[in-house]
Amino acid sequence: MEISTETRNGALIAKAEGRIDGANARDFESAVQTAVRDCEGAVIIDCENLSYISSAGLRAILLIAKTLGKRQVKFALCSLSEPIAEIFQISGFDQIISTHSSRDEALAAVDG
Amino acid sequence: MSVSDDTGNDHLLHFAVLNDLREIAVAADRIDEFCSVQGIPPATAYAVNLSVDELLTNTISYGYEDSEEHRIDLMIRRDGDVLTIEISDDGIEFAPDSAKDPDTAASIEDRPIGGLGIFLTRQMMDSFDYRRDEGRNIVTLTKKTGTASPENQ
Amino acid sequence: MQTEILNLKTEREDDVLSARVGGRIDGSNAARFEEMLRSAIEESDRAVIMDFEQLLYISSAGLRAVLVTAKSLWKQGTTFALCSLSDQLRGAFASSGFDRVVRIHGSRREALDSLDE
Repeated sequence: MEISTETRNGALIAKAEGRIDGANARDFESAVQTAVRDCEGAVIIDCENLSYISSAGLRAILLIAKTLGKRQVKFALCSLSEPIAEIFQISGFDQIISTHSSRDEALAAVDG
Repeated sequence: MSVSDDTGNDHLLHFAVLNDLREIAVAADRIDEFCSVQGIPPATAYAVNLSVDELLTNTISYGYEDSEEHRIDLMIRRDGDVLTIEISDDGIEFAPDSAKDPDTAASIEDRPIGGLGIFLTRQMMDSFDYRRDEGRNIVTLTKKTGTASPENQ
Repeated sequence: MQTEILNLKTEREDDVLSARVGGRIDGSNAARFEEMLRSAIEESDRAVIMDFEQLLYISSAGLRAVLVTAKSLWKQGTTFALCSLSDQLRGAFASSGFDRVVRIHGSRREALDSLDE
């Protein structure tokens, strides 16, 4: 798992790549939590190159969403692959976290 | 159709991992390789990986009362268009039926953290069977391979 | 904020793009770093200033990405400058000869001022 972040027009985009499973979900969560600590604009997790996520990864995303929700920072995901989108659907995460098909769409959605 | 006996082994993958969460990625590599050789569609391979991951994570995280090294056996077999996955460990007995399904309609504040793993496994697989046998947990899963099996080509 | 993960913070003012780079850049993420820069830079940019103040570590793969970016900017006629390099990094740039092809400034202010010269 690799993470990198970009900040554009105040929105932080975290790109997650590779696998998020029980072995690294905590690392993923703390890396993102650190990166978003000072962020006041929106936060987007770009899943374009995320190949795999397990429930441990979903849990990490939920924790991040909860932290940001308390601070009233907008949060969205984008570019989920089909199997990952399916897991989001089955687990009901698509109902509580906004997901978008592209980064531009996510940026437009959190803007304003 | 002529299938000699020794080809049967090509449809079977048997290996073991240790009770270390980092072994999950190792298992995933082996499963991916098996699925790719067997011509199993990526979506099915993903579902198998996820299910094995969730069960391994549970066993490795909560299944042992000591800090010793333990072996977890994995078997994946393809019979025609059905995959059978068996995971066997010597951890403490667990009751997969006792896990309540998460409330997938809860709002973000109310949504509990955790409790998703077994639920996802049940959703992704066609069958889920648990038994306790001679001090071992044995979980057997089945899943239809879906389209694109090499035997159908 | 000091973090190990690669992060790029970009702001654009009067067609000058400030790109603040932080974290670690090595062989595992240099290609991504290059891609991040490519997508942040626009052809209409007059200058790109890359600020390394928050950079913890950069390997040769990362330096290569900087050089590739510098070259493509040179081709499109955009000024490129680096600023706020640590002493070690300055040493690395000097020994690789990069300091002769890329303009290096002590601070972002200095780099911005140099654009008006």
